[in-house]
Amino acid sequence: MKFILRMFVIILPIALISFFYLYINDDDYYPGADYRNYNLPQFELNELYSQSPISNKDIQGTYLINVWASWCITCRVEHGFLVKLSNKNIPIMGINYKDDRDDAINWINKFGDPYKLIIHDFKGSLALDMGVTGAPETFLVSNGEVLVHYRGEVNTMIWQDVFTPVINKYELFK
Amino acid sequence: MLVEIAQFLTILSTGLFFLNFSFSFLFDSKDQHIANLVSKIYTHSSLLLVTSFLIYVWLAVSDNFSVLYIAQHSNSNLPIFYKITSIWSAHEGSMFLWILFLVLWGALFNFVTDNLQDLKVKSMGIISIIIVGFLLFLLLTSNPFETILPIAPANGADINPVLQDPALAIHPPFLYMGYIGFVIAFAHAIAFMIEGNSSVKWEALVRTWSIAAWVFLTIGITLGSWWAYYELGWGGYWFWDPVENVALMPWLAATAFIHSISVSSKSSSLRIWTILLSIIVFSLSLFGAFIVRSGIIDSVHSFANDPERGLYLLAFIGILIIGSMTIFSSRLSMLTSGSAIKTFSKESFISINNIFFGVLVFSTMLGILYPLIYESIYEQKISVGAPFYNAIFVPMTVLASIFLFFSVEARWQRKFVIRSLINSMSISALISGSLVFSAYKIFNITGTWELISIFAGSLIIIRYLFVIWDYLLNNKYSNPFSVIAHMGLGMLMISIALNNELSSERALNININQSDMYQGYEIKLSDLKLVNNPNHDSVQAIFTLTDPLGNNFYLKPEKRKYFARGQITTETDIYVTLLKDIYITIGDQLKDGSWIVNIQFNYFIRWIWFSAIMMSFSGIMLIVSINRAKR
Repeated sequence: MKFILRMFVIILPIALISFFYLYINDDDYYPGADYRNYNLPQFELNELYSQSPISNKDIQGTYLINVWASWCITCRVEHGFLVKLSNKNIPIMGINYKDDRDDAINWINKFGDPYKLIIHDFKGSLALDMGVTGAPETFLVSNGEVLVHYRGEVNTMIWQDVFTPVINKYELFK
Repeated sequence: MLVEIAQFLTILSTGLFFLNFSFSFLFDSKDQHIANLVSKIYTHSSLLLVTSFLIYVWLAVSDNFSVLYIAQHSNSNLPIFYKITSIWSAHEGSMFLWILFLVLWGALFNFVTDNLQDLKVKSMGIISIIIVGFLLFLLLTSNPFETILPIAPANGADINPVLQDPALAIHPPFLYMGYIGFVIAFAHAIAFMIEGNSSVKWEALVRTWSIAAWVFLTIGITLGSWWAYYELGWGGYWFWDPVENVALMPWLAATAFIHSISVSSKSSSLRIWTILLSIIVFSLSLFGAFIVRSGIIDSVHSFANDPERGLYLLAFIGILIIGSMTIFSSRLSMLTSGSAIKTFSKESFISINNIFFGVLVFSTMLGILYPLIYESIYEQKISVGAPFYNAIFVPMTVLASIFLFFSVEARWQRKFVIRSLINSMSISALISGSLVFSAYKIFNITGTWELISIFAGSLIIIRYLFVIWDYLLNNKYSNPFSVIAHMGLGMLMISIALNNELSSERALNININQSDMYQGYEIKLSDLKLVNNPNHDSVQAIFTLTDPLGNNFYLKPEKRKYFARGQITTETDIYVTLLKDIYITIGDQLKDGSWIVNIQFNYFIRWIWFSAIMMSFSGIMLIVSINRAKR
């Protein structure tokens, strides 16, 4: 009886802790990353600058979608990396999320514009359909299909570990 | 400048707490000088940390947005109250608050007890090393003092509007006080086993502290449930959200623990379980912190995602748990000295119920782990929800309440015998049976488990009514705290069953000045207003409801748009009556101009919270009475 109890109280915690260790120490473990594939939802919204209508057919091919807002401090941190990516000719579409139009335009004027175009999602309806929980979030989309959904700041490390394997697998941006 | 001072004070206190730990373990803890020294060092290091926290509060109140964390989670337009509460609206600050509470529990214990009280020196040492572990976690992986000079934003960000709510602002502090309060029992259990003197009555030393922590935890969970109901618009009282479960597990274990204390303080026969439970309760509290802060599970509550933090916490918790379990298993012979438990004695029933509590904790743990295991094998996300938990919790609770029912009559250390067939037990069973029958006949309640729960719940309540009756008439002693707490449990079971059976909801489309009928109530959308407020605009819908008797009342749900984040939230409006809530929310406007209106009839939901409050109230009364008896 004592032996069983002894084994139980030692082995159970060790098993639990090892499980969690393996779970989070996995090299691919990025809690913000989601690799489920699904189609980009249908939308009809306005472009931020021109305020002309924009929908799925206006964005074709392979690109990143970055959800950002002027009120989001992490987006400011992330922004420099996005500018670098756009300089490497990687197309980025912006979704301006629940933001005031003037604030958003001022923000872009101040920090630079890495975006091909910016969808003004004032109500957050497209973002809601895409499963956005807050800004910043970044999606890798190819031919209307979402391949990667990343919640949180994208930086050099995340780009290499989360996005690059998928880009290499499908031979995108060639 | 101030922020650097705060950070420096925190680092300094980390060093002092470590010194305290070393002193309490290196030197003879029976020595009066050492005991005084350890107590003094603790007081000083906790003063440093409290000062540091107060400076941090001042930084938040004075809108010092050069502090990264404050810039991200506060805003110059917020009322002062929410500037302060923004400190615990995210990971770093809430961790700081958690540590503050840990320090304060220790400080309170240090202040009110004599320095030579059994186990005190070693317990203070153990508390100190736990504080050091958390402080290092704070400073190394989640530093709230980080600055963003020189580009401090002018107005800060804004805290999520759903978090701008009094219930939310106070529910985390209550929960943290509860979780971390079990450190006193944990530290004493470890000190007791290390010192190895089994004649020390360690149960008596930790009883009040553990009940206090349990009261905080109960209130914290209840407040969280209430907040989710009316502010998040979840429209119910419990959702088996992983973070709710993570709070429920230590609560269940703690409930078993405080029952176990009263058994082992009387006969020391359950001591081995009491010690084990004190370790389990504290481990589960820490496990909760790990689950929430490592980003392992998605939930409304989950904090920033950072594997580094998860690893640190896991290592720290791992050392604590495996270390204490090793000490436990090497001291088994010391703990099993008590006499065997008599069958059908009060302690036998409490032990059986402790097993039920254990099963519930284990199943909840399984519900949290299963999706993770499944995900790592099949690379698919699944979630475990209400059907799983209901299938386990309902029968277990019913069984446990039957044993509780028998334990009322049972005596400590004596076999319990039924003296005659006509006694309060059979009468209670009879009355409960007829109550269930009338519930079935008159109120048309048909769910089997609901009826069984109502039976078990009323069994408890009526049995305790007999106890009260006996006390009033024959002046027969009864433990008033047990009576109140267990009647609360009975009420909880009945309220949950009735809520489950009777509540209903429907989505209606209503145009302005039109009306619709639901459950005999006429619901008319009589007006729509635009309201301007300091930090948000809102659309307010005014509904006129007419009940079946022809009485009118108004409900005014809103949709709000907050300026700072542009976030849109839905504000419910609730009409509260004794038996039910009428809960109304407005959704989107359709193309034909009508509005989607969600209406819910939530029966007995207030009774659920009231039952929980009754339980915590009995705990508070018990603490007061123990302290009065001491004087």
